Amino acid sequence: MSELVSTLAITPVTTVDAPASLIAAPTTRGWFARLLRSPSALIGGVLLLLVVLMALSSPLLFPGDPLDMVAEPFLHPGVDAAHLLGSDMLGRDLLSGIFHGARVSLLIAVVSTLLALVLGVSGGLLAGYYGGLADAVLMRVTEFFQTIPSFLFALAIVAVVQPTLVTIALAIGVTAWPSLARLVRAEVLKLRHSEMVQASAALGATDLRIMLRDILPNTLTPILVSTSLMVATAILTESSLAFLGLGDPNAVSWGNMVGSGREVIRTDWYITTIPGIAIVITVLALNLLGDGLADVLDPRDRK
Amino acid sequence: MHKTVFKLLAATAITLAFSANAFAQTRGGTLTAIIQPEPVILTSALNTAAPTGFFSANVFDGLVEYDNDFKLRPALAESWDVSKDSKTLTFHLRKGVKWHDGKPFTSADVKWTLENVWKKIHPRNQIIYGTVTGVDTPDDYTVIIRFSEPSLAVLSSLNSNGAQVLPKHLYEGTDILNNPYNNKPVGTGPFVFKEWSRGNYITLERNPNYWDKSKGVSKPYLDKIIFKVVPDAGARAAALEKGEAQYAPFSPVPLKYAERLAKLPGLKLETRGYDWISPWLFLDVNVDRPYFKDARVRQALAYAIDLNAFNKVVWYGFGKPAVSPVVSTLKQFHTDDVPKYGYDPKKAEALLDEAGLKRGADGTRLRINLDYLPYGDDYKRSGEYIKQALKRIGIDVNVRAQDTPTYTKRVYGDRDYDLSVVWFAGFADPLVGVTRAYWSDSVGKNIPWSNGSGYRSAEADKLIEQAQSSASQTERVALFKKLQQRVQTDLPSIPLLELHFFTIQAANLKDTVVGVDQIYSSLKNAWFDSAPKVANATQAAPPQAAK
Amino acid sequence: MKIRNIVVRRLLQLVSVALGVTIINFFLLQLAPGDAAQVLAGEAGAATPEYMAALRAQFGLDQPLLVQFWKYILNLAHFNLGYSFRHGMPVAQLIGERVPATLLLMGASILFAVVAGATLGAIAAYRAGRIADVVISTLALVFFATPLFWIGLMLVVVFSVWLDWLPVGGMFTIEAGYTGWKYILDVARHLVLPAVTLGLFYMAVYTRLMRATMVEVRRQDFVRTAVAKGARPPRVLFAHVLRNALLPLVTMLGVQVSSIIGGAVLVETVFSWPGLGRLAFEALFQRDFNLLLGILLCSSIVVIVVNWVVDFVYTRLDPRIRFA
Repeated sequence: MSELVSTLAITPVTTVDAPASLIAAPTTRGWFARLLRSPSALIGGVLLLLVVLMALSSPLLFPGDPLDMVAEPFLHPGVDAAHLLGSDMLGRDLLSGIFHGARVSLLIAVVSTLLALVLGVSGGLLAGYYGGLADAVLMRVTEFFQTIPSFLFALAIVAVVQPTLVTIALAIGVTAWPSLARLVRAEVLKLRHSEMVQASAALGATDLRIMLRDILPNTLTPILVSTSLMVATAILTESSLAFLGLGDPNAVSWGNMVGSGREVIRTDWYITTIPGIAIVITVLALNLLGDGLADVLDPRDRK
Repeated sequence: MHKTVFKLLAATAITLAFSANAFAQTRGGTLTAIIQPEPVILTSALNTAAPTGFFSANVFDGLVEYDNDFKLRPALAESWDVSKDSKTLTFHLRKGVKWHDGKPFTSADVKWTLENVWKKIHPRNQIIYGTVTGVDTPDDYTVIIRFSEPSLAVLSSLNSNGAQVLPKHLYEGTDILNNPYNNKPVGTGPFVFKEWSRGNYITLERNPNYWDKSKGVSKPYLDKIIFKVVPDAGARAAALEKGEAQYAPFSPVPLKYAERLAKLPGLKLETRGYDWISPWLFLDVNVDRPYFKDARVRQALAYAIDLNAFNKVVWYGFGKPAVSPVVSTLKQFHTDDVPKYGYDPKKAEALLDEAGLKRGADGTRLRINLDYLPYGDDYKRSGEYIKQALKRIGIDVNVRAQDTPTYTKRVYGDRDYDLSVVWFAGFADPLVGVTRAYWSDSVGKNIPWSNGSGYRSAEADKLIEQAQSSASQTERVALFKKLQQRVQTDLPSIPLLELHFFTIQAANLKDTVVGVDQIYSSLKNAWFDSAPKVANATQAAPPQAAK
Repeated sequence: MKIRNIVVRRLLQLVSVALGVTIINFFLLQLAPGDAAQVLAGEAGAATPEYMAALRAQFGLDQPLLVQFWKYILNLAHFNLGYSFRHGMPVAQLIGERVPATLLLMGASILFAVVAGATLGAIAAYRAGRIADVVISTLALVFFATPLFWIGLMLVVVFSVWLDWLPVGGMFTIEAGYTGWKYILDVARHLVLPAVTLGLFYMAVYTRLMRATMVEVRRQDFVRTAVAKGARPPRVLFAHVLRNALLPLVTMLGVQVSSIIGGAVLVETVFSWPGLGRLAFEALFQRDFNLLLGILLCSSIVVIVVNWVVDFVYTRLDPRIRFA
């Protein structure tokens, strides 16, 4: 699933564009305004904001442990005003679960994406800039990761070290970075021999400075777009792991909720469906945002 | 007067009609059963897992069968004697029984299996037959087993699950564990193995030369049984609902659906047939942890859990709060006369305070882990329920999930755990299934499903050893009752529920339960009844194939 | 000369990936607590330390790590995938039994994803901005965001239980004993829901991809040239636009094949489909190193081969790209 990131992030082309347009990056004010005008980015952004608000406000609106058994089990949504979304098979409040779950699911997704970003960006930068051995090693490693299905790999890691929030986030991050690294590497290769870089080198800038000051900012476009997609994928992966029984049993995450409701889906489908919808909305929001960013930041797309 | 006579005649007619129907077992039909998880190998002589037991009883007979009162009935053994000192057990085998490949079944097969499989490989039988000094076979149909010390527990484990006989002519001299016949079994039973498509299904067909006849007609009644592998619980429920499967044992569907499915006109929920397993769910407490050394702490744990609510909420009533590891259906050995720990959270807190585990500034007395048996959602929910129950008395529980080998290594090998939720089968004699949880010999040796708590009590060990070699059943009963009192006082392991497994089957599938060990017994008596419910004095309906 | 270089390079790639997979698999399973003997003892219902020691000796698990590893590599060099002690069968045979079911499922879902996705994407591009486009694009977005197993479960509930149009699971109706055409139709009926579930995610991907690239390509110079030259719209569409739009689709195909085993685990669980995905999942929990590795190696080889084919097709589609 994370392999999609690299290909979907860039609008597919068959030829390489002239680098000149990359140097003149759009101004900050310009692209944010354009972002606001893009419908998909707007909708995605608003939805995502709502989800983040849910996550942040959960300890205020729902103090106490969402794992507490506070109600009659199998209360359907809308039946009891105290438990608007009903309760699950152990009598835990679903609304509280959704809010707290937003926090956990987003946390896992963000941490794993950060890990993937750190590994992927640095790996891609180093490989693209230095070439040679570093590049060869990176290429072999990413190739290898592409042949092992990333979900199976994450599954294997979590199964072996046992599921906790930390191990799940690590496993997802570790299996997601290769595609990002390839992406970054491709971008770095484009810029490696540009005039700007040559000029900086001539002026005596260190490699690190060139990489961070000149190259990295210009690779932000695909990285940003990829980020939102990686977060989305991480949420889907976490819920799939929970479905297979590999979720952290002490935490309330949407994936855990979907997994636990699986057994009673025929009579009490809302236990699985409601967190499922939460997942869909969040992933959708992230995808829309990613689409919007791709539209807006794509230098060739001058409307 | 005429009215009375008429009523009498009518009643007689109806009774006759009913009995006529009762004897009119229809031959024919294919039964689709669900088997989950897929068995590893297909003979219970080498593997005591539940799916193997359920399956292999159809291919292999036992020496005896058990009826609904735990009494023995002849199977491969027509009769048996126990000597006065209980040190000699003689079986008189049935004549004319053939293995599925045509070779005759003789005492040599029993002798060989006992000496090479039951004594050496089979986990439970190693203990039960441990004191066997010799097996004599004076002729092809007599087996004399000599014990150095009595082992009355043997009598409780002589069915197809406990005493499965393997064909000597196919196993002698081979690497038993890797013998290809483990996966294409040859037995003497009512059904013959046909095919195993891994991950998919196993098929059996009627044994045309089966020895068991009823009214001159040879059983079984079914033509064929197909065991389908269905890993998803929801899919199993759907298959049963649609009639794609007609028999699914061992609580195949989520407990919540059981009642709902049972109400459907074409299905039936059956709770009989599991008593021989005597299963009990319990909480093992690692007594080597410093905070669990004090018995009061362990008792506090017991007082903190409301077993009635636990039974209702987590197990949907498919259980009964337990007071002892020997379940109440095992009437001969069970005793109620033990210390009881009803739901009393105040008492629990008082005991913890007494034991020195006071609440800290944040209200927590203790932080511990709980590991649950990774066999399904029911055990996970049990762990989650206990976590919440203990939270109320100030104990913070961290539930841990892992796969089976990790779990067994952790609990029985490394003993790196605090609490463990698990169930054992107690079987028909406490020596076979219950004592292993309390016997000190197995602690820490990485023997799965043995003494997990680490309980070391000289008194309990002595009671167990005496019961093992006692020649008197009355004496053994008394010893086991004493044992229950001892372990319920010390409470290294807290019995939670007597589990009630259930089977969902088609309503028109009859005579599926003929004994307390039906789950590990064959389906040779089962038949499809397509006749309507109202008494009908006419002939049997034509054979009905399953949908 | 060039072809030989290419072939050699490809084979080296294959070998290095195989080696990598073997190493990772080996050490991953070493990290997991408990070994195959532990699993068997747990499943057998009880065991003694002697029994487990005997098992370990039999499986060769009592030897030092490097020795075990070396033995495995040697076997591999002779194309021997080893023996699965838990199943009591050679790994190659176990895999061979499940390969047809797996190929069927994957092939059907890929076919469904590509055909449905490309078609819908083309329609959406052709009617860009209008109702059809909005509906298709929204659906694609939603399917892209929905968890696979959830769709599977809902499809079972709707189509199998409520509507009773399709079977609940399994690969075919065993008790009916169909042969010939009836058997094929029966399998096809059982294949519909799993293939659709597995393919929906990628169908959404292809729809969006197809739409985006077709919109992009249509605007490019050579299309306008063709139109100016008087070529009629259908010819323009098929000959030029589609051909160029297929390129990224073909790339994605390579990616889909590599990630499909992961999704297959979920689908095979929900639909009881007897494939390799579930077998790999179970092998992991049974610490069946030989079996797990066998499956991973096979899947890696398939992925690499498919990517070669993709590269080759690429050159056919676009003469500007050279085969390297």
